[in-house]
Amino acid sequence: MEAAPSNPTHNIISTAPSSVATHRNPLRVDWPTVDGPLGLSEQESVDHARRFFKFGFLLLPWLWAVNCLYFWPVLRRPSSYYHPDLRRYVVRSAIGFTVFAVILSSWALTFSVGGEHLFGHVWDKLVMYNVAEKYGLTGWI
Amino acid sequence: MDGGSILETIGVEIIGVMSPVSICMFLVVLIVYTLSSPSSSDNQQVIRTAANLIYLESSSDTTAQKLEGALLNAVVFVVLITLVTFLLVILYYYRFTNFLKYYIRFSAFFVLGSMGGSIILTLIQHFNIPIDSITFCLLLFNFTILGVISVFSQGVPILLNQMYMVALGIIVAAWFTKLPEWTTWVVLVALALYDLVAVLAPGGPLKMLVELASSRDEELPALVYEARPNVSSRSGSRGPNLGLLLAGFSDGDPIELRVMSSSENVVQNGRVVSEMRSESEEIDDVREVEIEGEMLPLMGSSSSNNERERPVVNEDIRESNESDRARVLEREIEEEEERGRGIKLGLGDFVFYSVLVGRAAMYDLMTVYACYLAIISGLGCTLILLAVCRHALPALPISIALGVIFYFLTRLLMEPFVVGTSTNLLMF
Repeated sequence: MEAAPSNPTHNIISTAPSSVATHRNPLRVDWPTVDGPLGLSEQESVDHARRFFKFGFLLLPWLWAVNCLYFWPVLRRPSSYYHPDLRRYVVRSAIGFTVFAVILSSWALTFSVGGEHLFGHVWDKLVMYNVAEKYGLTGWI
Repeated sequence: MDGGSILETIGVEIIGVMSPVSICMFLVVLIVYTLSSPSSSDNQQVIRTAANLIYLESSSDTTAQKLEGALLNAVVFVVLITLVTFLLVILYYYRFTNFLKYYIRFSAFFVLGSMGGSIILTLIQHFNIPIDSITFCLLLFNFTILGVISVFSQGVPILLNQMYMVALGIIVAAWFTKLPEWTTWVVLVALALYDLVAVLAPGGPLKMLVELASSRDEELPALVYEARPNVSSRSGSRGPNLGLLLAGFSDGDPIELRVMSSSENVVQNGRVVSEMRSESEEIDDVREVEIEGEMLPLMGSSSSNNERERPVVNEDIRESNESDRARVLEREIEEEEERGRGIKLGLGDFVFYSVLVGRAAMYDLMTVYACYLAIISGLGCTLILLAVCRHALPALPISIALGVIFYFLTRLLMEPFVVGTSTNLLMF
């Protein structure tokens, strides 16, 4: 995590994103990814974020989470700082993952807390250890 | 320049490799320790894998039978691994790199999905976690796919890649602990020997693979844990890389020596400096000039003039020293970048370290501590050797040798002693 753009040079860089993206200066401090100079450049990361965002719809919300974590600096800084597309995909990924997490965790919590009182004998059919028992999925030990 | 500076330079790297190994071993021990109940160890059904093709161990066999069978198993396993490694080298040599990558992705998918899923299911069953099947399938699917993506892709966080490498190591090691006991130990020793030969011998498959990959300037087409490379934005001059360790040592001493001796010089001459600049290609050359500079006062010259000149000259020398040092460092860094980024440790090393510790966990926790310490110290030795040798080294032999020795020492000597003394209230 770099410091917030209190430094005036950061603001100068942010006003001209296109010129910045063309040359890779190792001393630059505003890399779009958490890995800094080891990560992707800004131009690559737009494509990358788009791909991850799209594949997230194939029931793969963890890709959205990875998108958010990987482009954390993009999420943290004001929208004018990086390429607008990049920011858009990352923010959408964040929203998507939040929605998914809320829905899934509320369902899982309802299932585990409500238990058999709430679901009756369906619970016994749905709970994972019974399913594993039924199909013999626990090969280990 | 002694002791402390080795640790300062090399410490980050050592920790960067040792902490994932420790995490891997710790989790394997935890899984094995929680899931292997003592009652199931006797009547548990042994599955036939590549590591025990010939002989299925049963507890009723005699020791000679077990040893013979275990040796046969180990030989077959090592031969199989050698064949597969040669196949991999051949495929890589003829540039089937994409095939290899997809194959490794597929195997990662298989390991994470089925083997890992099975372990997770066992854990769920063991702890009676009331999770529904839909959520479980969704999460396992996500886990697996993300793992497959992160294996060879550039576009995932390095931390995620490392976590998945450790996860793969844990899963495979947890499965390997299912091997019968004698076979496990013999296979471990055999693999350590195989590793030694395959990496160091002239025609060894792993050596060929590493050389091929470095000559093509590509990543190794295998599952390899890579420590986070140190591209420090704060201090550019101090590249704490293992390769740089040597550079720092061989170059650092003369430079310091030189700066000190030149500041002690009473008289200096402008001519020396110019000579020095022209000749400062190599440190030895500079040293010769240094000697010349030290001899110069004996020749005699007007002292007032030299007094005035001295600080300037000293600064010049320092400047040239700095540039010299910077040049050497630059060269070293370039070499370093040619060689690769961080320290790499094959996933097999992770797996077999953890297998050893996991097998030790089936006996007692005391053997686990002994084996852990032995393996970590062996890994440290290997890393220091790596700093000296500066080419690919086998990570298994030292650690496995120490680990096996310490396991049997602890089991045969230390445990009876400690248990005896403590049950007779002589200790604790």
